[in-house]
Amino acid sequence: MELNLEFIVLKNKFKRWEESNPKLKFLFAKLQNLSFWGKSLFRLASYLLLIDLAFIFLFPFFYMVITSLKSPIDVMDITVKWIPRSFHIHNYMRAVKSLNYFPALARTSFVTIFATIGHIISCSMVAYGFARYKFPLRDTLFSMVLLTIIIPIQTLIISLIIIYSKLGWLNTYMSLIIPTFFGFGLRGGLFIFIFRQFFIGLPKELEEAARIDGCNAFRTYWTIVLPVAGSALLVCTILSIVWHWNDYFEPAMYITRPVLQLLPSKLPALYTFMKKSIEEDSMVSEVISLEGTVMAATFLVILPILIIYLFLQKKFMESIERSGLVG
Amino acid sequence: MKQNPKEQKYEKQLPVKMPVNQETINQRLMEQEATNQIFVERRLANQNYAKKRLTMEQKHVLEGYMFILPWIIGLLCFFIFPFFQSVQLSFSKITKVAGFEMDWIGIHNYAKAFVWDIRFVPKLINAIQNTIINMPLTLVFSLFIAMLVNRDIKFRGFFRGTFFLPVLLGAGFVLKQLLGMGVEAQAMEVARGIVMPDEVLIYLGSNVTKYVNGFMSRITVVFWQSGVQLIIFLAGLQSIPGTLYEASKCDGATVWENLWKITLPMMSPVILLNAIYTLVDSFTASTNSVIEYILELKQDVVNYEYAAAIGMIYFVFIFLLVVIVYALSKRSVYNSAEK
Repeated sequence: MELNLEFIVLKNKFKRWEESNPKLKFLFAKLQNLSFWGKSLFRLASYLLLIDLAFIFLFPFFYMVITSLKSPIDVMDITVKWIPRSFHIHNYMRAVKSLNYFPALARTSFVTIFATIGHIISCSMVAYGFARYKFPLRDTLFSMVLLTIIIPIQTLIISLIIIYSKLGWLNTYMSLIIPTFFGFGLRGGLFIFIFRQFFIGLPKELEEAARIDGCNAFRTYWTIVLPVAGSALLVCTILSIVWHWNDYFEPAMYITRPVLQLLPSKLPALYTFMKKSIEEDSMVSEVISLEGTVMAATFLVILPILIIYLFLQKKFMESIERSGLVG
Repeated sequence: MKQNPKEQKYEKQLPVKMPVNQETINQRLMEQEATNQIFVERRLANQNYAKKRLTMEQKHVLEGYMFILPWIIGLLCFFIFPFFQSVQLSFSKITKVAGFEMDWIGIHNYAKAFVWDIRFVPKLINAIQNTIINMPLTLVFSLFIAMLVNRDIKFRGFFRGTFFLPVLLGAGFVLKQLLGMGVEAQAMEVARGIVMPDEVLIYLGSNVTKYVNGFMSRITVVFWQSGVQLIIFLAGLQSIPGTLYEASKCDGATVWENLWKITLPMMSPVILLNAIYTLVDSFTASTNSVIEYILELKQDVVNYEYAAAIGMIYFVFIFLLVVIVYALSKRSVYNSAEK
């Protein structure tokens, strides 16, 4: 009887305390609700899944950096998995030497920068024409743009080589840069498509006002439309840089002189370097020890675009949401 | 006196009974001619004016063509001409390497590809098989990841940035180098622990484990190559108006129903776009065996016409696949323009 009374007193006390603190009351109500537990469990599971996925996506980069810092002995030792015993910078020195890194870097940057400029100028202009003007055959021509996306470069490559050899563009960077100024080149059609989607979503009033004030068509495009198209420009610039940097098929086709080769095309030469060393020296340890050098070279190849991406990453993601990529 | 034909006509038209005064008639004629002259001049001037100044509509059309002019030049030089030359090349044989002169030899090159060359057909089948298997996997998983990241979560920016990262690896030699090292299996080995612990696999037996591992490492490669699809899906998810979800919430719809009745129908054009992009992308990826074959054939000029034929066969297959995908999805794709 007494105990029961005490319990009631305690309960009342607790109730008063709970009511005096509205935040706490809310928390208790939440904890009593079963669906809250379900939700937080679901949330936990989804975070776990996300971290797991992020690991898969980051792993190649981890692997590259770690392996490139391993000494030959560490590569052989299976107990050394994540942290190498000592940081073996020698790999990088060897990679820089065998890739002939800095001249190749300059050449690749040259091609990438000019090809990207070409894409941005020509594709945005053409896309503006397709988005804002009505002229006969427009839809047919635009379906041709889509066709250029679908047809793989492999279909055209042989006759492109013949054309370029007649123009004297083989073994020069003209063959990689000039087509981009006409809206072609590496996935030019796709950039036209992205820009067109963006321009269609843009309100017309601004341009109309400019035209009424006596701005001509090209100037309207250059001074009114392009400055507004920042997000589409950023998306296309990044994609163009990344794709041009990594592209190996066309450079491998057009540029055969080793002195002119771009960075990604130099990687397979490392393989032959490895094979040679197998032939010369049948010691297994020497062969495996090259793995660190190969990874160092691979990491050096993607390092510049990695830095660019890390700087622009946040803006890039925002732009993708805003660019109206899909209408 | 000169008889003007116009004068005669004028005389005929005059009423017969009127007294004819030659002088007044002449005077009238002169006046008439002068006014006519003015009208004719004005009309001519107008015509010239119209020729110089286009109408608004014509001007509009001309400006449109001006904007796409560079592309049209490019289309002729870098697309239509090479395409027809490739077609021609695939049906002929190069007789002189110096000027690339060729002779028509019919379907010999195509016959070579399918009948004599024992290496090509397995490579083609392999490429198509890979594409057909990888495409749905890419679509499902990138849509799934996009929906995961699109929710209100912490470190959203970090996850988004991470999921686009493998695009930097590209489809070129960098990725090839990594795959050569067996990185995808290693990545999965660790990551699989959460989804499917080792104990479960031991319980299931070695046969199932083999399939699971094979599937997992395939999925890993799919993940790495789906960065662009992922961001396209993200953009698509962002473009679905939030009012739709609010309305369905008022009507008491569950999350599951929302997915099937709102998200997927609204995303269907994006899914189609992504499907076609994936198709083209996987056909041009460097891990593709046919592309390695073309690279190999290109080493020797003797093989040029054969490589062109292979390129054409390749194009036909990719085009067929795109048409099939488009035709299959046409009915189920929601078109906002029809509304």
